[in-house]
Amino acid sequence: MTIRSFLRHETILLLLLVIALIVLAQQSDRFFTTDNLLNQARLMAEVGLLALPMTFVIVTGGIDLSVGSIFGLAAILLGVFWHGLGLPLPLAMALAVLVGGIAGLGNGLIITRFNVPPLIATLATLALYRGLAEGISQARSVRGYPEWFFVLGQGEVLGLPTQLWFLLAIAIAAAIVLGLTTFGRTTYAIGANEVAARFSGLNVARTKLLIYTGSGLVAGLAAVIFVSRVSTTRSDMGTGLELDVITAVVLGGTSIFGGRGTIIGTLLGLILMQALKSGLALGGVKGDGTIVVIGVVLIAAILLGNLLSRNGDG
Amino acid sequence: MTAIVELRQVSKSFGNLKVLKDVSFDVQPGEVHALLGENGAGKSTLIKIISGVLHPDEGELRVVGEAVRLASPREARGRGIATVYQELLLFPELSVAENIYLGHAPRTRWGAIDWPKMRSGARALLDSLDSHDLDVDTKVGLLSVANRQRVEIAKALSQEARLLIMDEPTAALADSDARKLLTIVRRLRDRGVGIIYVSHRMQEIFALADRVTVLRDGAFIATKPIGEVTEGSLVSMMVGRSIDQLFPKTETARGATVLELRNVSHREIVRNVSLTLRAGEILGIAGLIGSGRTETALTIFGITPATSGEILVDGKPVVIDSPAAARALGIAYVPEDRGLQGLVKPQTIRENISLAIIDRLARLLLIDRRREGQLARESIARFGIRARGPEQLVRQLSGGNQQKVVLAKWIATEPRVLIMDEPTRGIDVGAKAEIHALMSKLAGQGLAVLMISSELPEVLGMSDRVLVMRGGAVVAEFDRADATPDAVGSAMTAAGQSSLEGAA
Ligand SMILES: Nc1ncnc2c1ncn2[C@@H]1O[C@H](COP(=O)(O)OP(=O)(O)OP(=O)(O)O)[C@@H](O)[C@H]1O
Ligand SMILES: [Mg+2]
Repeated sequence: MTIRSFLRHETILLLLLVIALIVLAQQSDRFFTTDNLLNQARLMAEVGLLALPMTFVIVTGGIDLSVGSIFGLAAILLGVFWHGLGLPLPLAMALAVLVGGIAGLGNGLIITRFNVPPLIATLATLALYRGLAEGISQARSVRGYPEWFFVLGQGEVLGLPTQLWFLLAIAIAAAIVLGLTTFGRTTYAIGANEVAARFSGLNVARTKLLIYTGSGLVAGLAAVIFVSRVSTTRSDMGTGLELDVITAVVLGGTSIFGGRGTIIGTLLGLILMQALKSGLALGGVKGDGTIVVIGVVLIAAILLGNLLSRNGDG
Repeated sequence: MTAIVELRQVSKSFGNLKVLKDVSFDVQPGEVHALLGENGAGKSTLIKIISGVLHPDEGELRVVGEAVRLASPREARGRGIATVYQELLLFPELSVAENIYLGHAPRTRWGAIDWPKMRSGARALLDSLDSHDLDVDTKVGLLSVANRQRVEIAKALSQEARLLIMDEPTAALADSDARKLLTIVRRLRDRGVGIIYVSHRMQEIFALADRVTVLRDGAFIATKPIGEVTEGSLVSMMVGRSIDQLFPKTETARGATVLELRNVSHREIVRNVSLTLRAGEILGIAGLIGSGRTETALTIFGITPATSGEILVDGKPVVIDSPAAARALGIAYVPEDRGLQGLVKPQTIRENISLAIIDRLARLLLIDRRREGQLARESIARFGIRARGPEQLVRQLSGGNQQKVVLAKWIATEPRVLIMDEPTRGIDVGAKAEIHALMSKLAGQGLAVLMISSELPEVLGMSDRVLVMRGGAVVAEFDRADATPDAVGSAMTAAGQSSLEGAA
């Protein structure tokens, strides 16, 4: 894919987004208020964080279904480390993120060492990590976190929700890595033709390992932010989260077959999805209706993407 | 007699690149009409127009005298036009019979697929192509390239083809398989089928064609009966000049030994191979398909690491367990299958050429786009790659130009040992001579070249020494002076009993 056709997909997304926002603004006068917008940003930060490494994963032609479970596991362990083991909270937070990374590394090892297709490998760890989370928590929730901890999920820094700063920083880093570095180039090459990537002397296994580890680490981080936002931990946190994440990425123009996709696209896809969700909620549409609309938009985006890539090479 | 198909003043552009200019062309029943031209001349494009894949911008297409607009390849097939494409398009997971009848399987009265009829039909078709040994229930993915091609042809014939189009059918075949294919083509011609035949191999054209049409840069040059042309006149029509030497081998001083294999094996596929390769030398490896040549190359390159034996670079033992390790030692491998192993087709020429040295083009992990673009532009000029520019997608290039991109990519690594597996497959005479000249020049600068080729003239014409492989082992070695076609040819088949184990 050339830069030009990337931009074309993103232009169309942007247009869709503008249309959606206009429609939503007309539906409800509460939509275009600073409060609502900032609140929406807060709500989408966790999915947004997860969508960044997921873009890498899908660009390699893989998938990570286990992010929601890793998220739940890290959340539970944060509570256990702090409340159960009595560790200082900052240390517990760091350990929770680390556990996410280790869980991701586990995915990567299964996929690269034993050549298990990512779909199967992460489907298995989706069950495994969720099972661990439930086993550890015994359905008990942890509450009573200290006040300073809520800055992360409920506070503001320089007028913006704290987690938005995390999202922005990691998004910029991800965009640079994917777009401009050898690591990013390797990621695209693996997705477009893994055999040729290997025959070119690129380190395919290491690249994949790093990507899945990164996916786990970010899931750990998102879990800590989430716990801070909702002030409690429970074992079913993040159930089904992977669907939102994958939807945002695919909506953003990343090809599910690999080799194609950008961080900017993912961010646009994320915002579009969040706008639809909140707009529909404000308009009084119930949860099921929202899912239907998002499904339709997703299909439209995929069809559009197919059409574009076909025009692209004549 | 009415022509089966006729093109009148057809033009076609991609963007603002005019690929065909006012081309007229026709095929009569029972004739083999060869289509010639350099890489990128527009041969495949012309064929795609006849087979309904592309539409002409101007001009008209007539099928049996009737002007038509083919909406799809399916419609072309319905009108008796069958095509065997340059890149084989079979489904590896399906059986031979299923592939042959894909999309038009015989049905029972109830509308279900009539399996017995399908299998017996497939059997009959393959028999009519003299392929009695090919089992209709085998998965296509397990077949050799030659057999896959027979399946493609059977598939084409299964739809009552009046016209069979073959785009470089022998490019991937060894000589003996190619000869068999020619017999099949002649038999079809005698049945009254019209055949369009694209090939860069001159002997085939003269052995087979009734008429030839030459394209150059998308323009129609001439259509001539085969009796009125010579190899020389065809070449000068194709390239607009004459080529003085196809095998420009220069004598170079041989330097120190760069690469040495001592009893290297990989499982049962590569058996106790020993060889030495010196700087400035071109070492050719001849052998039939399946003789272990490519497998030896893959072992040296670290794809299938050696399971026993020793590899030495500059006299020092090394471990090569990955292509990255091979590359770090200055070993480059231009693979046999460019589509699968050589190229990332959805990416640009620039991204492909820089792929193997991407870490060298980076500063602080960031890719230096300026240097990358410069490398791509230089390579396009140096190898004469026909493209709109560095940003063109590789999959839009003609087959021969794709091959040049793979070469450019590996030359860019500035290797000390260059392994080339079928380096001129699908490349036109002009470019072939250029690549041979380049090979000679690189050897002259001290590069050690290991060349695997199924074209005997190429091996004999370019090599300083020739190794012959059979059954995974080196069975003979010849110096340039002793490497006659007969001697090498008989060593390749089991007939030759000369068993000089890999010497020195
Ligand atoms: N989809 C496409 N988009 C843009 N340019 C294209 C496309 N397909 C082919 N071309 C260009 O058209 C020209 C003719 O290509 P074509 O494949 O017909 O050549 P060819 O004669 O078959 O060459 P070869 O012998 O190498 O197979 C080439 O310059 C090629 O780059
Ligand atoms: Mg072609």
